[in-house]
Amino acid sequence: MSGAARTVSVNRVDGRLKVTGGARYAADQPVERLAHGYLLLSTVARGTIRAMDVAAAEASPGVLAVYTPFHPLPLVGTGTPFSVGHSWLPLQDAELRWHGQAIGLVVAETFEQARDAAALVTADYEVRPAAISFADGIAGATDPGPITGEPARLEFLADGVGSIDEALAASEVTISGTYQQPGKHHSAMEPHSCVAVWQDGALTLHTGTQSASLTVGAMAAALGVEAARVRVVSPHVGGGFGNKIATWAHPLLAAAAARTLGRPVKVVLTREQTFTITGNRSAVRQTVRLGARRDGTLVALKHQVWASQSASGGIFEGSAHATSRYLYKTENLHLDQKIVTLDVPPPTWMRAPGQESGSFAVETALDELAAELRMDPVELRLRNYATVYPGRNVPWSSKHLDECYRVGARRFGWARRNPTPGAVVRGEWLVGMGMATANYPGERFPASVTVRFQPDGDVSVASATADLGTGMWTVLAVLGAEALGLPVSRIRSDLGDSSLAANIGSFGSASTASTGPAVAAAAEAATNALITLAVTDERSPLHGLPAADVRYDRGDLVAPDRRIGFPELLRAVGSPGVEATGSAGPGPEHRQHAFTSFAAHFCEVRVNRWTGEPRLHRMTTVVDGGRIINAKTARSQIIGGVIFGIGHALLEGAVVEPETGRIANANFADYLLPVNADIPPIDVHFLDHPDLLFNPLGARGIGELGTVGVAAAIGNAVYNATGRRIRELPITLDKLLD
Amino acid sequence: MRPFGYTSAHSVAQALAGGGAGTAYLAGGTTLVDLMKLEVMTPRQVVEINRLPLRGVHVDRDGLHVGALERMSEVAEHPLVTGGYPMLAQALLRSASPQLRNMASIGGNLLQRVRCGYFRDTGTGCNKRRPGSGCPAIGGENRGHAILGTSDSCVATHPSDLAVALVALDARVRLVGRGGTRDVRLADFYLLPGDTPDREHDLRPGELVTRVTVPPLPWARRSGYLKIRDRQSYEFALASAAVALDLRDGVVRDVRVAVGGVGTRPWRLPAVEDALRGGAARPEVFEAAAELAVQGARPLAHNRFKMTLVRRTIVRALTNLVESL
Repeated sequence: MSGAARTVSVNRVDGRLKVTGGARYAADQPVERLAHGYLLLSTVARGTIRAMDVAAAEASPGVLAVYTPFHPLPLVGTGTPFSVGHSWLPLQDAELRWHGQAIGLVVAETFEQARDAAALVTADYEVRPAAISFADGIAGATDPGPITGEPARLEFLADGVGSIDEALAASEVTISGTYQQPGKHHSAMEPHSCVAVWQDGALTLHTGTQSASLTVGAMAAALGVEAARVRVVSPHVGGGFGNKIATWAHPLLAAAAARTLGRPVKVVLTREQTFTITGNRSAVRQTVRLGARRDGTLVALKHQVWASQSASGGIFEGSAHATSRYLYKTENLHLDQKIVTLDVPPPTWMRAPGQESGSFAVETALDELAAELRMDPVELRLRNYATVYPGRNVPWSSKHLDECYRVGARRFGWARRNPTPGAVVRGEWLVGMGMATANYPGERFPASVTVRFQPDGDVSVASATADLGTGMWTVLAVLGAEALGLPVSRIRSDLGDSSLAANIGSFGSASTASTGPAVAAAAEAATNALITLAVTDERSPLHGLPAADVRYDRGDLVAPDRRIGFPELLRAVGSPGVEATGSAGPGPEHRQHAFTSFAAHFCEVRVNRWTGEPRLHRMTTVVDGGRIINAKTARSQIIGGVIFGIGHALLEGAVVEPETGRIANANFADYLLPVNADIPPIDVHFLDHPDLLFNPLGARGIGELGTVGVAAAIGNAVYNATGRRIRELPITLDKLLD
Repeated sequence: MRPFGYTSAHSVAQALAGGGAGTAYLAGGTTLVDLMKLEVMTPRQVVEINRLPLRGVHVDRDGLHVGALERMSEVAEHPLVTGGYPMLAQALLRSASPQLRNMASIGGNLLQRVRCGYFRDTGTGCNKRRPGSGCPAIGGENRGHAILGTSDSCVATHPSDLAVALVALDARVRLVGRGGTRDVRLADFYLLPGDTPDREHDLRPGELVTRVTVPPLPWARRSGYLKIRDRQSYEFALASAAVALDLRDGVVRDVRVAVGGVGTRPWRLPAVEDALRGGAARPEVFEAAAELAVQGARPLAHNRFKMTLVRRTIVRALTNLVESL
């Protein structure tokens, strides 16, 4: 495989299954003697449960058991450091750590019986004061540990400069802005669910997960069984966005209950429960100060971040380190990250963790600087274009962000933008254009793939990775077909099962970049195994030839005077199939280069002159992600990422009551996600620059990139339309009324 | 969901015989079933009424009559509605989603319960759901709540778009009970919350809404419903305005204005109408009149923007209507 590899555009191989309802998600598993669990949630944020009255629930029809801290299920340890999403295990003590945490599990013959019985349970709480308000917690913010391997406070200063503030004070032009955003929820279409089945002391867990292997680790540790006795099955995942990496309370309780009851147990979270049982994105406040020369040269960049964190652990937004760290060339750079620890559900990874929030701040600040300088925002970015990773002094392996800007500007018609805010009016609508940069690091993890030649003529390509709706089923087939010289229709992908070839899963926009090279390695290993079989088995027509005289060509083994298809060979020797596993992973290349995917967004926004609604009118996104494997699923992924960003920009935000810690909008009528009517035409264009220094495939990740920078691009367009700079997300009409 | 008895009625008499306290009539079910699942509504008995002969859309000299069991989607597309009363069709089409509009009945729409998050969460207090348990919305999350007609007991916004347009058009509802039949102006049908927010309307136990009648108003052909919300579909109004204009030579001869998304019931604005009548049909005149819309309004911590928004919504709705003439 090489840079000569093509981009193809094929339909999803799992598309028919999905649209006909044939795809079995975790909760769809038909299991005999299945019992149903329903979680009980706390209604106070902090304190201790004094007692729970479960008598009525236990007497309720169909109820098998009611588990609480006073009748707990046995769980031990907390697994590997980040495979359980919070620092404690459910029901092992009576402590209350946030509003809506798990405090019990009712198991019954049917879901309805379990839910009805759950409504009969009452709890007596000893309530203690809780830290809920993010704004109030800023003053007491603390320093976190390192962020992506670097100190939370990171500074590069030019020779002779005493401090970042000194550099800012000496700048010809400065701007400063404080940018805020509420906590957010992943809102995957498939709610979290699981079916736990024990047989002979071994657990099979059906659950939608981004990482079958991390889930195995968490389950094994918490249940006190060997990892070899846990299998996690997850062929289809209805959206993950980072919230199906960690293991949450429900599979732990389901598996423990199933073990105790001696029956399979299913738990499906209600939509409301997903808001507090699983993770979220931190609330974030950021301050960005920029100092520049009149010609637009950036001299100083100071980016301070405060992100919410849970007293129960989790992953916070490393906003500055994920963006300002390397987006622009500047002589003086200062990043400072703080966390605000609260009695709230734990934040976790959420699509572009750090980049999404960081880009809103720094890409809005760039626009503010451009306005101050009366300079075109694209020109300002080109003037400060970084070709060397700041502080590391290594070049990027393949960076074509400048081309993204130029191609995007042309496709979008950026030259028609009127730089004067509020100057363009169409009827009752104020029209504005804005743009922003997107970045996401090129990540790659070790991965293994098994390729198996089957006597029926198909070839299976299998790995324990996940398809979150992202297209991995199809990418495996495309890459398998390419590596083996066969049509896609002859490749049988397999994934989403921890018993397949080792693979950490699907996150960090790294699935294709990690798994793709392993497909090639496995294909080579499997063809070698096929050749070995062909020359060593006495029943083979090629028996006795030197292996060096036989080569693999598009499904055939070719000797100097003969050519035989692999199905014919396998049948001739009576083989059920020949397989081999190949592995690939990152090497020392990270020491010589920086790897980043980039994109540029351009958008047009209209704001009603009377009532202030911001409406996105059109959008262009140009992507520099290295080689694109399947243009069709890649385009869908970028569109999905952009829509994710549109939600963040205009609609989404958890409303947490500061007194109670209750999420006031924990449902889809009140936590607003975009609907089709909100989404205008989105023009996606991919540059074609395979990144062969990154991996032999030339492909970097694109799963999260589309989300990054969208909020800034939209906010910048709102400014261009109205002259109003909205520094707090979501940008809703109440912020645009006079 | 609590266990309940279920019967189907085949005639109005049969339905009324089964009705009464503790019984809920079931038509489209888009509110009732939802709230029963949440245990916000816990009727002991449910009487399904979809086969009752409460259908049809027709016009006679008394006006437009719409059967209470007509579906929202059917009424929204009916030529008598789109032609004679565009504001009704627009109010319906901007409600809910196509799937819900295909199910929900006109009578059910008028009786739908509020969307207040505290009303729907049995883990919190709510005077409407459990009288005397308090109103957490007043000191809690209230961005979507009402600024007009509120009390210290309840600030929930009336959710229906259709009702706003019907109130603007002076519609009446026909109520049939075992004691007889009565017609009530929709504007009088809805009650202010006062200190009894659990009583939302003048519907006696066991009574059925059988039809809605809109009096003749030829100039309602020039009417519209403007709904302002954060997203462009499938959301309740932050503010809305149902307006009709009778214009001659650029002067407002007559006008109807009612607003939604801001009141504890659909909110007709006679003072605004009076201020507009006889004036020029120009935005600055509309703006001056719209100032009167928020007389007596009591904004809360998160919904003060509705004071401005509702006025702008009226101005924009009127301006759009003038421009479309």
